[in-house]
Amino acid sequence: MSAHGRTAASEGADVEHTAKQGGRRWRTETIVLLLVALLLAIATGNDVVQHTHTNQRLIADLSTWRSYTHKPFHNLSVSQDYSKHFTREVVCGNTAPGDPKTHTQLCLVISGPVRHGRREVRGGWYLPPRVEDKPEFRYRCFGSARGEFQCTR
Amino acid sequence: VSVAAHAERGIAQRRGAQWPVLIAGVCALVLVAATTEVVLDAVLDHSPLIPKSPAIAGWLPDLGERLGYRTFLIALLASVAAYGGLLALAGGISKRAAIALLATLHAIVFVGPILISTDVFSYIAYARMGVEHGLNPYTHGPISISSDPVYYFVGRDWKHVETAYGPLYTLLSYPLAPLGVNGALWAMKIVAMFSSVGTLALTWRCARARGRDPVFALLALGANPLYVLYALGGAHNDLIMMLLMMVAVSLTLAGRDAPAAAAVVAGALVKATVAALLPFMLLARRTLPVLAGAAAALALGALVAFLAFGIHGVDVVAALNRDAAFVSTDSFPTEIAHLFGKPGVFPVDHDLLKGALVVIVVHLLWRTSRGYDWVAASGWALLAISVTSTWLLAWYILWPLPLALVARDRRLLVATLTIQALFIAHQITPFFAPVS
Repeated sequence: MSAHGRTAASEGADVEHTAKQGGRRWRTETIVLLLVALLLAIATGNDVVQHTHTNQRLIADLSTWRSYTHKPFHNLSVSQDYSKHFTREVVCGNTAPGDPKTHTQLCLVISGPVRHGRREVRGGWYLPPRVEDKPEFRYRCFGSARGEFQCTR
Repeated sequence: VSVAAHAERGIAQRRGAQWPVLIAGVCALVLVAATTEVVLDAVLDHSPLIPKSPAIAGWLPDLGERLGYRTFLIALLASVAAYGGLLALAGGISKRAAIALLATLHAIVFVGPILISTDVFSYIAYARMGVEHGLNPYTHGPISISSDPVYYFVGRDWKHVETAYGPLYTLLSYPLAPLGVNGALWAMKIVAMFSSVGTLALTWRCARARGRDPVFALLALGANPLYVLYALGGAHNDLIMMLLMMVAVSLTLAGRDAPAAAAVVAGALVKATVAALLPFMLLARRTLPVLAGAAAALALGALVAFLAFGIHGVDVVAALNRDAAFVSTDSFPTEIAHLFGKPGVFPVDHDLLKGALVVIVVHLLWRTSRGYDWVAASGWALLAISVTSTWLLAWYILWPLPLALVARDRRLLVATLTIQALFIAHQITPFFAPVS
């Protein structure tokens, strides 16, 4: 009788121990999941803020190109200067109306903070029609572009 | 006085019961209106959101304007709010009303053009490579059929890439190749729609079998904005994979282990990811038929793949490794890299992510061996795959949703919907600063 009683008691203790372990495991997993969710939420929020800042800079760059050239074109290409400055962009566009790259293109090097919706033009160069913006095609460099030897002719 | 008070209470109760139905109706209307707006705007012209496509929906009225990010995001966010409302009020929605809503959403997307993705044109290109040009899509990219009419519509990033889809899917797509680009496109849309209907029906059935609210399950999957606009809108073959996944779950619940395991293997021969279910099924069921069904289906699939495509058709690991190296800006690893000041994901990060995935899967296997629900474990594994992947697309985070709706662990559903919400939140930058 006493042996049977001990077995029942130990079985009860086992069940309780397993339930406790299960509860502890569930809590630990939930805490880990919440921490992962928090990390992902912060990373997502950070990315949205960064992208918004980048987009605001791009909007300012496009506006700067239009204001500098007095041409209201929308088919402009923007590339970021990854080599040295993450906030320095090169904006290229046609000098006459037409499809992208069908005319002589004017590229502007734009950097600095956004002021009144625009940024500062540091220099630039011209490109013949139907070519990509590569150093071998650049000509008539001006401003900082001349100093940085971005033109080969 | 007491009679009047009783009557007032009765009216208040009836009003209380009517308001949720009314709000649910408004939510349904918002979902239908937002989906219609996207489809009608998509008809007009291709845009950064709408791929170049044959004019299959030219007969729809020109009521909107070219679909831009802003309009799309408003429609998406409105759909998300309405979806949330529907889920909260699902208890008061009848089965008939839920089916009517999902049928309407499916019909709207079906008659419209392809949304968001160019993938369907890659599917057609691979089929036409095999049937019309005698080329093996496992060794050639669409660039090798640059004179074919479908080539113009294939996404720029995929022109040189061989197919990463399973041999079963490639063979299933072959009969569509002779239909021409337009005919094949309609056929792909029909296949996507029927796969979706099948997945919804099986999710309903499994939810009911497991004591879950089937109407909630139906709405949570079929009215999900990512499901409707991205997966169905793009006619993605993920829908076929999800159908076979739910066939497997449904067969397991009916005690038919061998065909269930065969269905998982068939799903993996469409898109390899679903193979993640197999170890959990094996561990949970511990029956010979599971092993036999999986082995027989795998042997048959491998033989057919080898005969049709040679060794390249069997080597899914190479395709998976190649795709695992891709990086998209929407992936969570990329976001975390940015958070820690890195410009992006590096090869060492890929190894860390693979390590993290292995740890998660091993933990899930251990839990399944101790009695944890294998359906939930499979869902967690699929969710972990999408979260740790450096190449994340909207339809990837739909993979665990049907499992989450029938799983015994409700945390999986919360986690899946949270990940989807974060993915959508990541899309909203053009809303704050639209570049023009």
